[in-house]
Amino acid sequence: MAQATLPTAQHRRRLPDLVFQMGLPLALLLVVLFFAWSSPAFLVPSNLESVLVNNFTLLAIVSIAMTLAVASGGIDLSVGTALDFASLLFVSLIAAGQPFGIALLAGLLGGLAAGLFNAFLIVALGITPFLATLGTLFIGRSVQQLTTGGGIPIYLSKAKVPEAATFLAHGDILGIATPLWVVASLIILFTVLLRATPFGRRVTAIGVQPAVAWYSGLPVRRDLVLVYLLSALVAAVAGLMLSATVNAYVPSSGNAFLLNAIGATFIGTTLDRRGRPNVPGTVLGVLLLAVVANGLLLIGWNFYWQQVGTGVLIFLVLVASFASRRWRKAA
Amino acid sequence: MSTVIEQAGGERADLRRLGALALRAGSLLAFVAVLVFFSATAPFFLSFFNFTNVIAQSAILAILAFGMTVVIIGGGGNVVTGGIDLSVAANLGLCAAVYAALIQAGQGDATAILTTMATGLAVGAANAFAVVAVGILPLLATLAVMNVAAGLELVLTENTVLSASTPFLMAINNVGPFGVPNLAWILLVVAVVLILLVQFTPVGLRLQAVGEHREAARAAGLPVARYVAATYLVSGLFAALGAILSVAYLSGSSTGSAELLLGVVVTALLGVVFSRRLVPTIGGTLLAALFIGFLGNGFQLLNISSYWVSGVQGALILLVVAATSVLRRKES
Repeated sequence: MAQATLPTAQHRRRLPDLVFQMGLPLALLLVVLFFAWSSPAFLVPSNLESVLVNNFTLLAIVSIAMTLAVASGGIDLSVGTALDFASLLFVSLIAAGQPFGIALLAGLLGGLAAGLFNAFLIVALGITPFLATLGTLFIGRSVQQLTTGGGIPIYLSKAKVPEAATFLAHGDILGIATPLWVVASLIILFTVLLRATPFGRRVTAIGVQPAVAWYSGLPVRRDLVLVYLLSALVAAVAGLMLSATVNAYVPSSGNAFLLNAIGATFIGTTLDRRGRPNVPGTVLGVLLLAVVANGLLLIGWNFYWQQVGTGVLIFLVLVASFASRRWRKAA
Repeated sequence: MSTVIEQAGGERADLRRLGALALRAGSLLAFVAVLVFFSATAPFFLSFFNFTNVIAQSAILAILAFGMTVVIIGGGGNVVTGGIDLSVAANLGLCAAVYAALIQAGQGDATAILTTMATGLAVGAANAFAVVAVGILPLLATLAVMNVAAGLELVLTENTVLSASTPFLMAINNVGPFGVPNLAWILLVVAVVLILLVQFTPVGLRLQAVGEHREAARAAGLPVARYVAATYLVSGLFAALGAILSVAYLSGSSTGSAELLLGVVVTALLGVVFSRRLVPTIGGTLLAALFIGFLGNGFQLLNISSYWVSGVQGALILLVVAATSVLRRKES
């Protein structure tokens, strides 16, 4: 009987499925068309590059980190902390006259420290990821205040900025800005990692059915440790990019990305047929946010109305996607 | 998280009760120890003036955390899929801006109060719609609403402080009966009313049932959706109340209210350890808010750098949560 009813059920499911999955790309397309129609300055190569470099890159990197944690069934509220730690170590070492390579490595390790702490809390102590990473966020804020005399930024003078850092932030390879190469490699790397490697499939299994994954003998604990280390490491890359761009470390600047990264990750889940977190979906989500922020500016909305506009748009995308999810279930 | 506890059998329940008692006694002891330590080292700490002032200063955080607690009670304790309202702090910012803007526009307190309450309720209604009618994860729905509310606040204030001062606001900020600040009285009265409402009335008990045993509540014929929706409205209303207190306390709107959010989350979650069954309760949240208030105040009096405060808060939640999760693992 189940077999007999299956085809019709699938048939009926097709339309809601399509609406659900196409919602995000469609929203992005509509937004792009709208801005192209309403502002002549929008669909211009220089503006599009500016959207990608200024609005997209950092949030996309942080959101990839978030997607990893969410895919494993958790969340990482301390992505901003890892970003800040990386930035703090990188900039302080450069300011102290250390070579670029050492500073880069130290920055990545600084970010990893936050991830290691998360992994310890989540895997060894069994604290839920939300609370564990929230604790890390709070402790990280104190660490930054204590090491910077209450949150005084560290600025690098022009003379101290290594050429490699300038290249990382403002250079280009084959005419394409370096940050775009970095973000593109991360997108490809983590799309493949999550989708096409045993590790990625295990992470998805842990995220969907933690108990089943456990009883099936998957190395759940080891994989979760890796997830939070990787998440912190990716966030640390964003921290290095940010410091190289502004030639400074500004305490607790990473938290600004947190909520948008969560938003982009969950908006991105609509791209997957089963509603699971996935890197391409997250990237489209970030792109949507970036385009809207840029476009609203171009059509003359001030910063304040931009916030409202972006917020309402995210809200509507979420409503549409969850409503179609319900519709799909009902069908 | 709580299902593990409920599945535990009779003797295990005894064991659990013992463990919970130890934890609760432990956290109360920690609270008392902190108070004793500060009173021993900072003589001014235990003075009536300081004590009542700390309670008054905790009022705004506590009232926001009450709203959050009601949402968590009705939505269940799982922070990602259960109930949570990330929009409370932004809602407070928006409501405070509305209040201050109306006063600046020459409106009276009555109009300002009503409009502020309506604003808070509207934000709550948006959450309720998104969570209950559409079925968006509360974490996500309230995050989106938070962004909209924060944006509207910016539009209204253009990121400046709107000052507001009326006799009514000054009265809120004054010292009341028995030399206790009115803010402290308001906090205590709100807490008592809410404790009675949530712990001792049929409505409150049903709300707890909806949060802890959703399916059972549904099977028993409770209008689950209506209860959950109501929690977001309550939370919105409390944000508005907190906003009025905040406008009184700061003599105007403030630009940094969004930063209250994490403190509110921590307070509501920390409150769990002050309850017998390790569940969110209004009384527990009140104690947690006061604990955090006294901790900050003691640090200040001892001249310990305020830079430590957020780290200690973070360590505190981790300690508490680690203790509860170890306890829970032992039972299962």
